[in-house]
Parts: sequence; C-alpha cells; structure tokens
Amino acid sequence: MGDHIVEMNHISKAFSGVKALDDVSFNLKAGEVMALLGENGAGKSTLMKVLSGVYTRDAGTVLIDGQPVDDLTPARAQSLGVAMIHQELNMCTHLSIAENIFLGREITRHGALADAEMNRLAREALSRLNIDLDPATVVGDISVSKQQMVEIAKALSVNARILVMDEPTSALTAREIEDLFAIIRKLKAEGHGIIYISHRLDELRHIVDRVTIMRDGRFITSMNFADTTMDEIVSHMVGREIKEKFPRIDSRRGRKIFEVKHLNAGKPVRNVGFSVYEGEILGIAGLMGAGRTEITRAIFGVDAKDSGELTLDDTPVVIRSPMDAIRAGIVLAPEDRKKDGLCTRLSIRENISLPNLDWIADRLGVVRGRTEQQTVAKAVADLSIRLASPEMNAGNLSGGNQQKVVVAKWLARTSRLVIFDEPTRGIDVAAKVEIYHLMNRLKQDGIGVVFVSSEMPELLGMADRIIVVCEGRITGELDARTATQNQILELAVAFDDKTNGAAA
Amino acid sequence: MTNDNPLKRILAVRGMGQVLTAAAGLLIMCVVFSYVNPSFASGRNLANLLRQIVPILLVGIAQSYVLITGNIDLSIGSVLGMSCMISATLMSGGMHPLAAVALTMAAALAIGWLNGALVSRCRLPPFIATLGTMIIARGIAQLVNGNRNTDSIRKMVPADVVYSAQDAFRDIFYLGKTFGIHNCVWLTLLIFTFFAFLLSKTRTGRHIYAVGSNIEAARLSGVDTARTVTVAYVVSAFCAGTAGLYTTALSGMGAMDAGNMYELYAVAAAVIGGVSTLGGQGILLGTVFGASIWCVLKNGLQFAGVSVAYQNIVIGVIVIVSVLLDVIVRTDMLKGKFKKKTTS
Repeated sequence: MGDHIVEMNHISKAFSGVKALDDVSFNLKAGEVMALLGENGAGKSTLMKVLSGVYTRDAGTVLIDGQPVDDLTPARAQSLGVAMIHQELNMCTHLSIAENIFLGREITRHGALADAEMNRLAREALSRLNIDLDPATVVGDISVSKQQMVEIAKALSVNARILVMDEPTSALTAREIEDLFAIIRKLKAEGHGIIYISHRLDELRHIVDRVTIMRDGRFITSMNFADTTMDEIVSHMVGREIKEKFPRIDSRRGRKIFEVKHLNAGKPVRNVGFSVYEGEILGIAGLMGAGRTEITRAIFGVDAKDSGELTLDDTPVVIRSPMDAIRAGIVLAPEDRKKDGLCTRLSIRENISLPNLDWIADRLGVVRGRTEQQTVAKAVADLSIRLASPEMNAGNLSGGNQQKVVVAKWLARTSRLVIFDEPTRGIDVAAKVEIYHLMNRLKQDGIGVVFVSSEMPELLGMADRIIVVCEGRITGELDARTATQNQILELAVAFDDKTNGAAA
Repeated sequence: MTNDNPLKRILAVRGMGQVLTAAAGLLIMCVVFSYVNPSFASGRNLANLLRQIVPILLVGIAQSYVLITGNIDLSIGSVLGMSCMISATLMSGGMHPLAAVALTMAAALAIGWLNGALVSRCRLPPFIATLGTMIIARGIAQLVNGNRNTDSIRKMVPADVVYSAQDAFRDIFYLGKTFGIHNCVWLTLLIFTFFAFLLSKTRTGRHIYAVGSNIEAARLSGVDTARTVTVAYVVSAFCAGTAGLYTTALSGMGAMDAGNMYELYAVAAAVIGGVSTLGGQGILLGTVFGASIWCVLKNGLQFAGVSVAYQNIVIGVIVIVSVLLDVIVRTDMLKGKFKKKTTS
C-alpha cells in the first residue's frame, strides 16, 4: 500500500446532527484515475471537501504521501498538492489567463508586477498541456472548456499532484471532451493522481482505472474498473432496499389542474410538457444540472420563457413574472433557500407574511397586525417550526427550520398548484416526514403538487407519477408504484451521446 | 407566541439596539453641552436647534428609505438645491406660492421617479444612476434663474401688502410658530409620522425591507421589486424637495449651491441611527436620533467654542465609531451563530 498518495480512513462528518459521511475510507494511487461514484447526496462532494480542507472532518485520518495530516485547511491542502477543479469554474473573468493563473502569488520586480515573466510562465504551463492560448487573453472571452483547461494549468503550476475533477464534462462538447481526456491521460502518465466525479457513466471507460462507490454517506465498495460492469456499478450506487418509510396516501385522481406544453427556456429547458391532476403528486426526477430547477423557474416566471403554453383549470394563463404566477394560483418553494427563499435578515414573521401581504394587508395597504400574527402562529404550529420567537431573524434558524419557513410562507395562502423544489434537502428525517404530510394534505385537498427531488427513494415513496429529465428534456414517465431506481437512473442518464467511441 | 412584556416587544423591533444607543448618546451629549455652556439649554437655543434638525432629518428620511432597499441616492442634495431654486425663481417672478410649490414638488418627484426607473428597470448601479441625476439636478438649479441666485421671493409683492402669500410660505416652512414650536418642526413631524407608518405598518414598507434584505427572494415571493425601489426613490425626492422649500423659506431667496453635500450628511444621519448601507435594516426613529446627534454636535460644539475644523473632525469620528460598534456587535453575533452550527 506504499504507493498511495491519498489515504482517507474512517472519515465521518455531520452537519447539524445529520451524518453526511459515515466511516468512509478512500485511497488514490499515483498515476491512476479513480472514479468516485454515487447518487446525488451520497457524500462524494463532502468527502472531496474534507480532502481539500474546506470541511473539517469529525473523525478519521487523512494521509497524503503517507504522512498523516491533522489540520487540513484549504491552504495546507493546496501546499500538499491537492487541487479541485470545480463544476462551476472559479475564475475572475475580467482578468487575463496569466493573471488568473498567478492570482494570489503574483511575481513582482522592484515592487511592480512582472507581467512579462508571468505571461511567459503561464505560456509554459499551458503548453505543457498542449493548450494553444495567449496568456494575455481575458478569461471571460474564452470558452468554458478552455477556462477549465486554464484552471487545470493553474492547479499544475502550483505543483498539484492530486487533482479532483467534479463533473468536468458537463459543459463540454464532444470535441472538447476528447481534448480533456487527452490531458487527463497525459497527467496520469506523468504520475498525477486524479479523482474523477461524474454521473456520465459511459464516459468512464475512456479514462478510468478504478472506481469507488458511495451511498448515503457511506463507503460501499472499491473495484478495478476492468473487473466490473455498468450494471454492477449502478446497482451498487442505488442499493437494494428503500430504508425510509414514506407516508403515501391514495386518493382518487380527479380533473386536470395544470398543463404545460412546448416549454422552452434557453438550453436547460427543451420542449417540456406535462400535466398535473387533482389528487396526485407529480414527481420530477433527474440528475444535478438536468434542468429540473430551471423547469420550475420557467413555469413560475422567474426566468424568461422562449415558448410554452400554460393552462390552469382549462384556462390559458400567461406568466411573465412570479407576480403573475402567484396571482394565477401557482406558487414555488425554491431550492436554494438562502439565495431565493428567505430574507435572512428579516424576522420569521416577516418572511412568512411576505407573499401573503395581499390579503393580510387591508385595502389601504396597512398590514393588519392581528391577522398577521395569527397567520404566522398557525403556519408555525402547522409545520412544527421550532423557534424561540417569530421575531427572531430567519437566518438564525437551523437548516430544517429554515426550509419549513420557506414552505410555510406558501401554504398560508390558497393556491391551485404548489411546486416544491428539493423541499427536504439537508433536513432531518422527522422534518422530512412533516413536509411529506403537508404534501399529502394538499393532495387530498385537490391542490396540484409538483415535487422535484434528486433523491429517488423519496420520489418513489411519495409521488404518484414521476417524470424524468435529462439535459432539459423529458426522457420518460413512470408510475411511481411500479418504477425502480434503476429505471429512473437509466432515463436520467439518457444523454445525447457526445463521446462517439465504441458502444458501451 | 406573542410577547406580552412591553419592554421585550420594543427591544424585539429590528435594529432597536442601535436606536437606543443613539438615543443614549444624544442624551449624554445634551447633558454635557448644557454643563459646558448653560446657554446651550436655553429655550431660545433649543427652539433654534429643533429648526436646524429639520433639513437634516428630512434628507435623512430620504436616504434611509433608499438605503433600506439596499441602494443609495446621491441626488438628494441636488434635488434640494433644485427645489430651492425653482420655488424661489417662480415666487420671485410673481407666481402664487401654492402653484410654485406644486410645480417644484412635481419636478423633484420626477427626478425621484427617474432614479427609480434607472436603478430598477434599466438596472444601472444606483451609485452611477444617482450620480448622473445629481449632476443633472444641480444643472437645472443653475439653469432656472440664468445661473444666478434669485432675488427675494417677495420681490413682486406690492409694497402696500403687509402680509402676502409669500410671507405665509415663509411662516409655514421656516419662520412661523404654533403652540410655541416652529411650523416647520410640526410639518417635519407630520412627514416623519407618515413615512414611519408607511415603512413599518404597510405592505409597501414591508416590501422595501424585503427587497433590501434579499431581492431575489422578494421577487420569488411575488414582490414587484421595480415598483418598490421606485417608491423609495420617489419618497426620497419628496423629502429632499420639501427640504428645498425649507431652504427657500429660510433665506427668502434661492441659492444655487443649496443642499451641497447633503446627500452625504443624509447617509451620516441614517447610519448613526442604525440604518444599514447593506439594506434591509433600520428604522426611521433611528434616523431622527442620527439627525439630532448631527445637529446637536454642531450646535453644542459651537457653544463650547470649538472651531468648525474640529467640529468636522469630531462628527466624522462619530460616524465611523457608531457604525464600527454595530459591525463589532454583528460580527460577534455571526461568530456565535457559526459556533452553534458547527458544534450541534
């Protein structure tokens, strides 16, 4: 085992009591590409953030080059040769390639920036990867794939030997993927270790030596890629049984409430159409970046639509802004609660009443204090939000309770269609069940429920029908009572084949 | 669920901590200045002091509205100057003050609306948009009377008229008193009460806080963010315009450089009173204390025989220290929060 450049043993990490990593072990040899696989939320990113020092582990040991490393900070990880190539590139798009490569460690001569020297060194770093780019080019002017390569060059120029690539091909074309793979093979030959995270399983065969599979924050298995099959990998990723219990209720499917046809909104939403009926929960499944959130945002009027016809209770509706949607009776509990869901510096009371002020306030626009307090008290009780006082800032609540506030503010008003985007992300099991019960109550009341989730078990357990999206298209529809996770995953990875290699 | 303890309820109001600190600071200043020079506390000086607070408080309210939405209004001082020059030019030309005031306020509100449209609909950075209108409004102030200060607003009043409408104008906006207190103080109290109510008790006010706290979350909650930002800028222009009328009434004529730098004094009054320049935080009562501290310091230091140069330095220090205190308190809170999250 002497040639392991990374060894992570028995790593555990919890966030507000929820275990994200539970006794995970992982290793990487010099000169190999290790695929790190698992569903969304399996803990891959968390594990890599522990390795790169972003998160501090609660338990376990990390050895880099055989040396135990105790206080792993981002700076220390970097000096030990760990570099992350992120899914969202972290570049200053207004600066040049050379300026980005030398950001934070600029070379100076007599106190002035030595631009000529930095440009020369940047050119060398790029040419080592056979990238033909002028280092003086502004990063915002080059394509995303080139930016990614600049980021790799940047990592190598600080002597990184352990490269973590998180979904590096998601934004690339077939030609660009070939270029990236050529670079990966070259790095491998030079003795770098590469950890490769991807949902595009068919890509793996081009570059990968070994795979490590994680599920629900636990290590499942590690195998030589040559000794395994795609089916085996998928079944390890999915697991066999659904462990959580879901309080699904059966109610009769009634009239059609909502229909969307030919919905297009840029690249992430392509010709989407579906219907929602009374008495059912419609699940939307798909991998990260598949366009689930974008579909909900386009329907709700947050992002502009290129085309699309929306019908609510057999009446066509035009939605150009969230205001239009709310007026029509469509509401959205968004995915990113910090960014889109909450005014964290306002009180819980103010957050819950914000979208309801149209009926809480009187005709002159004066907020009726009593009505507001009663509404808030009822919402807090309905969702068992645990708080000291509704006057405390929403930002001071725990993640689960914040999520409940995001849901609560929408349930305080009567709507026809409620869209939940990842309502249970990052919250504990008890809180999840409360949210499930709420969805059930809406379903029984004849209100349309759309439930977007990246966790397949809860979709299978709670939804009645599931539509699966991949690259902005609906790739299939399944009956949740008979569907399996494998079926969902197959539809979720039904990419347009970009790697025009041999058949998988 | 409700807080029955009235003291707790007062403290629960957002930003009340800094408001109380400012109030305490104001009280201490008043006591110290009265001790140093007893004539500071004379009825005559206090009445004068209240009247000095009026324009600073008006522009402070103006800036507070815009700051709470997370923006800034640099045009406040110029709108004040423009309002002063337009009203004085029209009145000295013989127009009835009522009509002159109406036209003046229309012009001021137009600038406010333009600010709102540029920031919310054209998505210009507020600093740039209001820098532009600041220069434009100052240009208009210079233009209306041919690049000269105006003559007396009483110029066209026949000499035999003892009490003209122009005199009434000056009485309402500066000179006159009712129940022993200047009318302009009553007027400002009325404006303050109305806008404090709008901000704290109405839908529009709630939207202003929401936009300043998280504009994306507000939009997704169905808030018309463009309208909300525009309302804040129009309120700002209304207050700045009113302060311009005060200035006209004060001197009985129009000065082209009236209100110079007032947009920044307004920021000072607002932040001393606990309004956050990052948006979403602050109440108008705080701005009252902020504006009062500003004027009491100037007035009190004058009575104590401190030169203008030192007055400026002291006021600058107060601005920095009051916000620094808030930053320290809030950083500690954040640290506390962070600890709780990682250990639980």
